Amino acid sequence: MNILQLLAELAEANPAIYEQASQRRAILGRIGAMGAKVAAASLPLAAGSLVLASPAFARNTPLDVLQLALLLEHMENDFYRTALGQLAKPDGTKVPAGFIPAEVRPDFVTIQQHEQQHVDFLTTAITNSGGTLATKPGFDYTGSHNGTQTALFPDVFTSFDTFLAVAQFLEDAGVRAYKGQITTLQGDNGILEAGIRIHSVEARHASHIRTLRRQRQSASAPDAIRSWVGPGASGSPLPGKTDLAYAQEDQLTQPVSPIQNVTFSELTALGAVFGTDSARLQRAVQEAFDEPVTTEQATAVVALFTY
Amino acid sequence: MQRRSFFQVAGAAAATSALLLAGCKDDNVTPSEPTLTLGNDEKGVLSYAYVLEQMEASFYQKVVATPPADFSAEEKAIFQQLYEHEVLHREYLGEVLTSVGITPPTNLEFDFSSFTLTTRAGVLDAAQQLEDLGVAAYNGAAKLITTSLYLTALAKISSVEARHAALVRDLRQPGSFAAADVVAASGELAGLDDSKTPLQVLEVVNKYSVIKIAGADLPKA
Repeated sequence: MNILQLLAELAEANPAIYEQASQRRAILGRIGAMGAKVAAASLPLAAGSLVLASPAFARNTPLDVLQLALLLEHMENDFYRTALGQLAKPDGTKVPAGFIPAEVRPDFVTIQQHEQQHVDFLTTAITNSGGTLATKPGFDYTGSHNGTQTALFPDVFTSFDTFLAVAQFLEDAGVRAYKGQITTLQGDNGILEAGIRIHSVEARHASHIRTLRRQRQSASAPDAIRSWVGPGASGSPLPGKTDLAYAQEDQLTQPVSPIQNVTFSELTALGAVFGTDSARLQRAVQEAFDEPVTTEQATAVVALFTY
Repeated sequence: MQRRSFFQVAGAAAATSALLLAGCKDDNVTPSEPTLTLGNDEKGVLSYAYVLEQMEASFYQKVVATPPADFSAEEKAIFQQLYEHEVLHREYLGEVLTSVGITPPTNLEFDFSSFTLTTRAGVLDAAQQLEDLGVAAYNGAAKLITTSLYLTALAKISSVEARHAALVRDLRQPGSFAAADVVAASGELAGLDDSKTPLQVLEVVNKYSVIKIAGADLPKA
């Protein structure tokens, strides 16, 4: 039997044992971080708590990650296929050919091809791991769940600017979803590396879409949309509707260990670059680190568009 | 762990004395090349990331200090932001190294004179090479990290590097943000970004690094 399928079944049957089997490397790593002395003292306790811990829900496994990733990639792929006129909308009609301006159409052909390649890669990975492919849901990118509620993005395929805003939301969410899942893949180097390599492609897409949006901003716009995530116009593209993917982005510290954070405003070495401009430092800190989203947040993003 | 840290520090000290030796004229001494030897565990991988960020930071520092004459105001602002991000990555990794008992190397120095940094085209070409290298380096290093907190940290940094790489590419050639020279267009790895082992990356880094960065001991898997 395939190891991923085995781990998935083990996780379902007995979360505590799965935890022990799959997290051994991570535990050893943690010992390194804590220092040998502390580790020696706490190891029996840590090992004991793993056995005793008995969560009522099953743990995420690498196979779960692949399934979530495939769902995200289907969502992105069908989004671009619809915009390029390759796939009909839920009402059966197709987006007219000129919707994406000719000068940037090749960019979206490239992006769509990547998403299709990710779908294919993940489909093969799941099948090869002995997993069963989940049924692909229907997608409604207006967010009306096929007309059953008020649309969040009614003009997503009639306004190119709305389309770009939703594209940015999907790409940023994709980057952050992969990031949130990456540690679950630590037991399998092959899948971990594939995951991180897809993650950076999504980041390239997100950057490009943000660049296109910046180029379309009016010259009088007070706040340029940057190619990375940050405050203001560089955050959630449609505030109130797309905030789900941008949690934690205002963080001004980063963890250096499970018990210690670095507060950048306290680092004297940064004075040489930022001087006393604390607002500029604060903004750069927010931008320099892309935050992850949880499984729940990633699932909630997908749920906006499925029916 | 303790022994490893010692050798790391010893390596740095040896590099410093080699630098001093290189400056003296004693004909009987053949000075060994100053070297930073990266450790054989996760700390070595984190030191490797520190070196990469220091390389990028010193590159942008140079560009920001003396931008090419044909840079637009927007491009100057963008390169200032790139510089700020790389400095923050470097300082963050320095704090991580300190927290695991390693003193961040202080003798890193880079020479970018093989690039043409007096023209916009030359700067964009150099920045593209360095940013794409950074993305491939993080993609190849992820599996060498054991502690989940550090894996998440490197991923938080690596997608920002990918955003940088895509922007620099778009400045140089609009629409080249994820072209086939970095994202495979066909084959088994189609749609996946480039990935390089530390040794492949250090071969390039050592073209610019004044001291030799030795990665032979770094973990392989």
